[in-house]
This record gives sequence, C-alpha cells and structure tokens, in this order.
Amino acid sequence: MPLSADYIARETATNLWRNRLMTIAAVLTVAVSLALVGAALLLKQGAANAEVDWQRGTQVTVWMRPTSSVSEASAVKSELTQLPYVHACGYRTQLDDYHEAGKLLPSSEFSALTAKTTPASYRCTPNQPQEAQAVIDRFSGQPGVLKVTAPLPEIHTMEETITVLQWVFVAVALVLLLSAGVLILNTIRMAIFARRREVSVMKLVGATNWFIRLPFMSEGLIQGLIGSLVAASVVFGLHELLNGLANPNDPGSVLAQMRLSGWELFGTDAVVIVIGVLIGSVGSAIAIRRFLDV
Amino acid sequence: MIRFDNVTKAYKNGTVAVRNISLDIQKGEFVFLVGPSGSGKTTCIRMLLREELPDRGRIWVAGREIIHMPKWRVPYLRRNVGCVFQDFRLLPNKTVFQNVAFALEVIGRPKNVVETQVPQVLELVGLAKKRDNLPSELSGGEQQRVAIARAFVNRPLILLADEPTGNLDPATSQGIMRLLDRINRTGTTVVIATHDAALVDWMRRRVVELDQGTVVRDQARGVYGIDASTGSVPRTEVAARRTS
Repeated sequence: MPLSADYIARETATNLWRNRLMTIAAVLTVAVSLALVGAALLLKQGAANAEVDWQRGTQVTVWMRPTSSVSEASAVKSELTQLPYVHACGYRTQLDDYHEAGKLLPSSEFSALTAKTTPASYRCTPNQPQEAQAVIDRFSGQPGVLKVTAPLPEIHTMEETITVLQWVFVAVALVLLLSAGVLILNTIRMAIFARRREVSVMKLVGATNWFIRLPFMSEGLIQGLIGSLVAASVVFGLHELLNGLANPNDPGSVLAQMRLSGWELFGTDAVVIVIGVLIGSVGSAIAIRRFLDV
Repeated sequence: MIRFDNVTKAYKNGTVAVRNISLDIQKGEFVFLVGPSGSGKTTCIRMLLREELPDRGRIWVAGREIIHMPKWRVPYLRRNVGCVFQDFRLLPNKTVFQNVAFALEVIGRPKNVVETQVPQVLELVGLAKKRDNLPSELSGGEQQRVAIARAFVNRPLILLADEPTGNLDPATSQGIMRLLDRINRTGTTVVIATHDAALVDWMRRRVVELDQGTVVRDQARGVYGIDASTGSVPRTEVAARRTS
C-alpha cells in the first residue's frame, strides 16, 4: 500500500496539536531525563579530561650528586633528551633546588642544608605517566646520579580514583538512560492508550500495521527531537556554567582541568539528541505494538 | 461468499461461544443472525473479521480461507468486509466527511478518489448536507448512517453489522434497515446480528437462529421467533440446507 508522506505529515501535525497536553508531557519527560543523562556524560568526559591534564604534569626528577662532574651531568642531559618517551626536561641548578627546599622544608631540616650540599636536578615530563618507571630504571645508579624519583604511588592512586569516578558517571548515565527510557515509553504509551479507539477503527477498515505505526513513530520522533534539543541546551548551559565557575587564573583547578573542548561538547549534545530521537520513534513503535493486535 | 465449516470457538473461561457451526451464505444474500445474548452471534461476526480465531473448523470469506491466513494479509481481508457496530465507532474529532474519507485514506486511495467517492456515499446515506458536522452534532441514527457510509465507501463485497439498531428507536431503525437493504441491492452481501425482532419480522429475509452456540434454525424468508404463518419454528429447513 502506498504510504503518503502528505498523510503522515498531516496526521502527525494534527495529532500533536490535538493531544498537546500529552505532547508537552512527553517532551518534558524527554528533556528532563536526557538533560540528566547529558550532565552525567559531561561529568564523565570532564573527569577524563582532568585525568589527561593531570597526567600531562607528571614529573620524573633525576637528582645529581652534589659532587658529580660536569661531564656526568652533560651525559645524563644528552641521554634524557634522546629518549623517545621523555617529552621535555628542564635543568635546575643546586642554587635553584636550595631555594626551593627553603620553601618546602621545615626550617629545622633546611638549616642543615647548604647550596653546595643540595643536589642539582633534571625535571622531566614523560609522554605517558606510566613511562616514569622506565626513566627511573634507566638512570638509577648511573655515574653522577644520586637518585631518580617520581610520584608513582600517587599516579597509581589518582588513576584508580579517576577510573572509578568515570565508571560511576557512566553507571549513573546508564541508570538515568534506562529510567528515561521507561518514563518516555510510559508517556508515549499513555498517549497512544488515549487513542486506542482510533487505532482499532483503523485496523477494522483495513489499515496495515505500518500505516498505523508510522504517524505514531513520526510523532514520537518529533517529541523526542524537541525534548532532546531542550536537553542539549541544558547540557550546553551546564557546561558554560562550569566554565564560568572555573578560575581563569588557576589552570590547575579541578574545574579548569575538567573543561571540555567545543567538539567534546558537540559530541555529548549529539549523543543526547540521537538518544532522544531513537527513544521517541522506537519507543512509539514499541508502545503501539500491543494496540495493533486487534 | 461466506462459509463456516464445523466451526467451534471456546473462550479461555471455558464458555463455548460457537459449537460446530456449518453455514453457507451466497453472494448478494441478506442474512439475519438472531438469538439471545450469549448465543454466539457476535463471535461469528468477530471471526469473520478475524478478530477471533476458532478452535476448530474452517472459515471462508470472499473466496479465501481465513483461519490460516498470515497476519499481514488480514488488513487486505478487511478491505473486502465493511463492518458496522452498535456503538458506531466514529472518530469524535473528525467530521462526517473525514470519518468516511478515513476508511479510504488508510487503504491508500488517492485524494481524487476520496473526493469523488465520499460525497457519493454520503448522498446514498442521506447525509450530504452534514458532511462538515462532527459526530457529536448528529443524532444516533445519523451517526449510524455515517458508520454505514464508512463501511460501504470502499464498496466491500460483504457488509457485517453487529446490532446496528441496538441504540436506535424503531423508526430510525427502519431507516437504517432500508439503507442496508439498498446496499444489499448493489450486490453486497449483508449479514446482520440482531436482537430486534420487529425489524427481522418486517424485513422477511433469511434468518439464521443461534442458541447456545448452535444453529437451531435457518429459514429463507424468516421471522425472529416462531413463524406466525406456520405456528412453529421451521427447523426442517436447517436439515434441508445441511443436506443440500
């Protein structure tokens, strides 16, 4: 049977208007549910970004003996710059480290130090924080090297924490998605239940299931689309709010580290819209199934 | 046109609605299914529309065996079978024209066909002037005429009516019967399940009487109950038809 696009468009528009209270209920349900899902996805992505940002700052310190020769120091430097897994290295003189120790150590310990007894150091950033161990293995015991340190246990703990945090956000998003799906399905089902008489008349005059289903799916699609557009706007607003709250003078703050790029925000919004459209149209098709069995 | 062959139907609660019925209805016949409530009339109508499936036996409608018909073909069967109900089943938010046009639109008839056929059938049922009214603005009789127009607009081979005058006064009911008779004269087979003794007696058409799911009488120009002219229920006709 030919399915007229004109018929579907007309029926969809008429029914959306005629059942406008139900339409508003469905749109609001989609909007609220998917805004929560989008927010959870936003936080998950933010946590992933914070992890990357944090890992980028992981440093390995190669401490040189205070008694090391210039040739030993330059040999270490040259080797460090040639390593493919070392991103960048900076040299700090004994005096630099002495001044830093003055800031970090309690005065009782600092008073035991002099600039000549303080080790000079190379502060290196590996490409991946896990590669800090390779730097430690390579330079420990080398001539002129006192010791090599990296915050490996802290890295491990932080990675574990962020991984758990990301899974929590994914789980929250999935639970919200599931409850959103059930809520939306229920709202659509209520809307269709109110029109079961119309469906039964259509069946009795010989309409095929697809002929009945398509206008309902098209209605669900539009409700899902409008609801998800509202949800995407809420996600965008939330992102802007978090960005506004992040202190621009402190790039190391958690909110600044969680900041999403334009593409990541677009991706999150796209996921929200696709879910809304799918839930709306497929939900309608599922909801109407029981009323087609006349 | 319609054939029941040893059909039995029981519901889940154990009620046997139809018990071993065999019945033939020829093309162009006008048949009343009569009998008390629970005798199986509505179940027969529902089985003809394939809203219900029998537990045993076979049914043919418009030359097709419908029990083993795949589900996807059922809509095509229903396009050959118009149906009218006691409660009219009109869509309250569509006008008279739209209600009738709906039956053509859902089967994919082009707009020009809809715009030609709907006024014709509204003329036939006498509602041409009320094409823009909503069902709530019509009397019961007029609403039933709209339902008949909707059932007939597709020119089905068979028209089924389940208690079509159940909600109407006697005068209006006669008007509906005249209309169904007119439709029957176009060659459409008409089957009416009814309680309305006066109408059956007035029409004097073939009467199939059901009682507790069984055919107890099948009379060519029958009346609702005992035939006044013979003083008895002519059960012999049942046997005669079965053997023929």
